[in-house]
Amino acid sequence: MHSVRKRTIVGKCLASLALCGPAVFLYSAFVVLPAVLGFAYSFTDWGGWVNKANFVGLENYREILRDGPLLDAVKFTLFETLLIVIFFTFAAMILAVLLDRLRMWKGLIRGLFFYPYVLSVLISALLFTYMANTRTGAINVMLRGAGLESLCRDWMGDPSLVPFFIFALVAWSGTGFFTTLYLANLQTIPVELYEAAEIDGAGPVSVFTNIQFPMLIPALTVNSVLALITGINLFSHIVVTTQGGPGYRTFTVGYYIYWLGVLNNRQGYATAVSFVMFMALVGIAGVQIALIRRRDVRL
Amino acid sequence: MCESRNGCRIRILLLTLVLGAAFACVGCRRAPTEEKVIRVTRNIGGREGFRTHWEAWKACFERNNPGWKLELIDLGNADGAQFYKSRIATGDLPEVVMTWSMADFLADGGNLIPLPDCYYEKFGIPLPTPYKGKRYTSQGGRQIQGIIVNKKMWADVGITEPPQSWDEFIAGLQKLKDKGYRPLVYGGREWSAHMPLMCSLHMNLYDYEPDLTKPSWNKLKIEGKVSFAKDPIARMIIEKMIYLLDHFVEKGALSDGYNEEQRDFYGGKGATWIMGCWVGGDIEPNKVDFEMAYWPMPSMTGKPPKFFSNSTIQNGWAATVSATGPKLEKAMSALEAFYDPQVHQLFLNGEAMFKIAEKVPIKGPQSDWKPAQQLYDSMAENLAKYGTATGAFIGLDDQPPHGGEMAAARVMQEILAGNKDVDDLLKKLDYGWESAQKAR
Repeated sequence: MHSVRKRTIVGKCLASLALCGPAVFLYSAFVVLPAVLGFAYSFTDWGGWVNKANFVGLENYREILRDGPLLDAVKFTLFETLLIVIFFTFAAMILAVLLDRLRMWKGLIRGLFFYPYVLSVLISALLFTYMANTRTGAINVMLRGAGLESLCRDWMGDPSLVPFFIFALVAWSGTGFFTTLYLANLQTIPVELYEAAEIDGAGPVSVFTNIQFPMLIPALTVNSVLALITGINLFSHIVVTTQGGPGYRTFTVGYYIYWLGVLNNRQGYATAVSFVMFMALVGIAGVQIALIRRRDVRL
Repeated sequence: MCESRNGCRIRILLLTLVLGAAFACVGCRRAPTEEKVIRVTRNIGGREGFRTHWEAWKACFERNNPGWKLELIDLGNADGAQFYKSRIATGDLPEVVMTWSMADFLADGGNLIPLPDCYYEKFGIPLPTPYKGKRYTSQGGRQIQGIIVNKKMWADVGITEPPQSWDEFIAGLQKLKDKGYRPLVYGGREWSAHMPLMCSLHMNLYDYEPDLTKPSWNKLKIEGKVSFAKDPIARMIIEKMIYLLDHFVEKGALSDGYNEEQRDFYGGKGATWIMGCWVGGDIEPNKVDFEMAYWPMPSMTGKPPKFFSNSTIQNGWAATVSATGPKLEKAMSALEAFYDPQVHQLFLNGEAMFKIAEKVPIKGPQSDWKPAQQLYDSMAENLAKYGTATGAFIGLDDQPPHGGEMAAARVMQEILAGNKDVDDLLKKLDYGWESAQKAR
């Protein structure tokens, strides 16, 4: 009896090892180890492409404190994130509610809204780049065609417009996904609630404020977190469209780290910036989790 | 029941492990490589002149080395920096690489094999300045940078000779503008945006013939003894760049890059293009049918106009440490085939460069297409008349940092975006330059 139990325990251990071992090994080798090494490299002047790396102590971290362009990149990233979070949290919700009310061509119209999300970021960004071209882009060509030449702009070159251009690209390509999350949540609202509201004579606005919005709160939480991640991680859209330009105006934190480490061969400093940003994100995530937990307790 | 279920689980897990290990082995196995192949990088992109040269180079190598192949890795319209970095990361650099501005970067990483002096002597190539005591690259030819002009448009405003000063150049652009011509083709979107600024820095901030006994501006900059922000010449250059872009560049230039510049100039839509001599190689393939001239860069500081040339430093093709065993000998053979008279002539034609390999029995760039030949003749004539300056390219260890040109391009973008704050622009130029410098 004892030996059977022992064999069972050994079997379970082996099974656990076999199941988790490869994952733990791969995760350690490709995530944990590079992260630890990255932290170690943040104390060096390693260029990234040569073996030589000199220990520079806290110099990289001291440089961060006086790095003006990094601060600009943080500000730009936060501005974009703010726009993205507001849009994907609230505008996507309103769009989902409207799409949910459709009576005709429901599938087709929903599909059209979801379609840009299926495209790769590369294609979406190139499409927007072509559209924004001052002389040959579709936007200005249409404006000229409509006799509105005075409205033609350098959509990607004008510093006052380019943040909104990038936001428009992210919004266009991501709306489908965020709207779908809300739509899925809307399907879970019991029909009885709508019927009761109808009997009480509630209009669409009242239905939204009293039934749909409260019931969509869980999806709103998820969407806001996902939108925050999308905003903070903004990188590929920048690489394809502006490459941080004009000048350094559209450097996001992600692009700044890439520019330092890959384009400027300063991997040591880039990893220091990455580490500081990682700590800042841990802080933001902590605050967000605390807020969500407090709300959950209240509910 | 319990035991048999556990036994079944373990068998499934073991099977999974075995399959995983098998996949890992297959994945980690070295890809089958063709033994008798020498891979060479080249930035052909869509340039027919470059492709013609490549075909001749390949044919010559394969003729000299029966059974061996020369394989092209086309870098497109780029210097290959990202390609080389990714290949260094995977330990798979091609056997022969076009180094261009990457020579010191590749040499510092221990990726290049030094060339013996006899290699240069064999073809009569002046020995390039050594880098940390060694020479690594074949030398292409004398590459010059200046201003290509539409002769008819400039003649229409009464100017047939190169302007002798920057102010004279600007006055000429103004006349063109007044006459209804587009005076300058310029795009701010990508690397080519740096051209007017970098050329001006080369011609005005540096001595034409650097005194090697004194530290250059590059070295002083590394030591923190000079900066763009505090240099009156740099300030003047930025002021003149603001004027240039404000008065002679069309709105929307930030949407344009090198290809749009070329399209506009060769399409006869613009009178002037500040660009390197390599544009000459595209005239025949594009069947450009008007007469052009190539002028030196005018000075802003009272010096005579000159072409800028970086050809004294090492910047051609080099063999890499991937070339081992018999491949090393064949990589050297590929570097020698580069100077085969027919191959080298096609190289000079494609790049519109001038010969420096004295023992190779060929002439400068040649073309059967009349406008192209006229441009080559103009280049040769003005090169003889005005000569070249080395600018900031004094040696591989004494040149602007790799990101320096992009730092200049970003400052030009700032100007196009409406930033007229000279102090801020100079500060940004310092920032980009120094950030790149720290990587060295």
